[in-house]
Amino acid sequence: MTTEREPALAARDIHKAFGRHQVLRGADLTVEPGQLVAVVGENGSGKSTLLKAIAGTLPVDEGEVRLSGELGYCPQDPVLNLNLTVDQHLQYFAAAHRLSSLERADELVKLLGYDKYREAAAGDLSGGTRQKLNLTLALLHDPDVLLLDEPYQGFDWETYLRFWDLVDQLHERDKAVVVITHLVFEQERFDVLADLVDGRLTPRTAVKERTHVGA
Amino acid sequence: MSAPDALKGTPLFGQFPTALKFSVREQSRNRLAALLLVLFVPLWYLLMTSIAGDKGLDFKLYATGEMLSVNGKHITLITAGLNSLTMIAGFVVFDAVRKALAFDRRLAFAGFRQSTLIGAKMLAIGIVAGTIALYTALALLVYWRPGFTGWATILAGFVTMTLTYGSLGLLLGVLVKNDLEGFFLIIMGGLTDTFLQNPLGNPAANKPVLQYFPSFGPMQFSVGGSLGDTVLWRYLGLGLIWAASFAVVGLIVFHFRTRSRRPTG
Repeated sequence: MTTEREPALAARDIHKAFGRHQVLRGADLTVEPGQLVAVVGENGSGKSTLLKAIAGTLPVDEGEVRLSGELGYCPQDPVLNLNLTVDQHLQYFAAAHRLSSLERADELVKLLGYDKYREAAAGDLSGGTRQKLNLTLALLHDPDVLLLDEPYQGFDWETYLRFWDLVDQLHERDKAVVVITHLVFEQERFDVLADLVDGRLTPRTAVKERTHVGA
Repeated sequence: MSAPDALKGTPLFGQFPTALKFSVREQSRNRLAALLLVLFVPLWYLLMTSIAGDKGLDFKLYATGEMLSVNGKHITLITAGLNSLTMIAGFVVFDAVRKALAFDRRLAFAGFRQSTLIGAKMLAIGIVAGTIALYTALALLVYWRPGFTGWATILAGFVTMTLTYGSLGLLLGVLVKNDLEGFFLIIMGGLTDTFLQNPLGNPAANKPVLQYFPSFGPMQFSVGGSLGDTVLWRYLGLGLIWAASFAVVGLIVFHFRTRSRRPTG
């Protein structure tokens, strides 16, 4: 791990309680550009809470988050507008990011294989397709730092593999990627595994062999 | 796959027109509200006028202090219109705002200017509210032809009322946690508010306490114009103040609920 460069993401001493239930007790997370980090932990250990805190959708009690570059956040439950079509979502977020083209959006839609649903309202899409759109919206502006909260829920095997191809490309292009995962068999894909236990993150450096499961 | 180099430059979509277009769309996609508007409004008029009959009623115009002797059917048509507008406008805006809140926050986080989003949302509420009010005022002509000025004041009162309850819908949409709470508050609020203004159902309808209800202004304005031959602009203004107050509070809450909470050191 190089420490020469400024980290893409540095979260320090994040505390968060829900009522009397203390979920995060001083969690630290540093991610370098080009690093692929997995956050692992039991159900209810606070993985999603941590990502929400970093993304800024949830206020924290204590702590600090520094980002260099643009952030893309893919929430666990798709955040979409069920009355709008796929294309309208893409236009809406292109306007938000002030993008000059929908080239990247087109690529992502094709890569994730839901091109034929572009005219369909999000409310009429299957759970898996909604998740694809949810992920696309997080990647639309080609962010430097990506927070993905179990981004492949409901994906079929083919799409799941394409998702990892996509992450590999981002990885190669020096993007910092944080993924919440449950699956033990995919842990070898990551540069760093960080265990969230008792509200704190403990990184264990994995010996990564870039073997592709099922490919 | 190529790296996207050319994403930045002249934006492909302007933020305001995009937000306006999609806000109007999300508010007008409410099928139940559309059905209520098309079927319930004329039916409600029919039902209420058959109950009211042609009985004469006294209605107090506060601007002049004058007590008007009016046909109960006409007063009832105005309150029935106002009443259905409170429910439909409140429901449409509440439903759309509440469902889109998390999505709007995501848009704001993605770089959408909150002021642009808020402005577009407000204008969309205005467009949708205006359309609902126009239809309700047109449907009234089936039962009563008050003359053009009279009808125009009824329409203006209706527009003010839809704006008021549309704004209340906005406020509740950003405040309450679930659907039922919001619907209940809108329906109870609208019923109480408009029912009390009608001397047919409420013997105390001419009492001063009614001035403190949102439908007081629009009711006075519509009745003054259509039955009293006076156009009481001040009362239209009073209704618009209610609308603006609900909207301002709602938009402030919206602003807070869509801002980033990231702790930067």
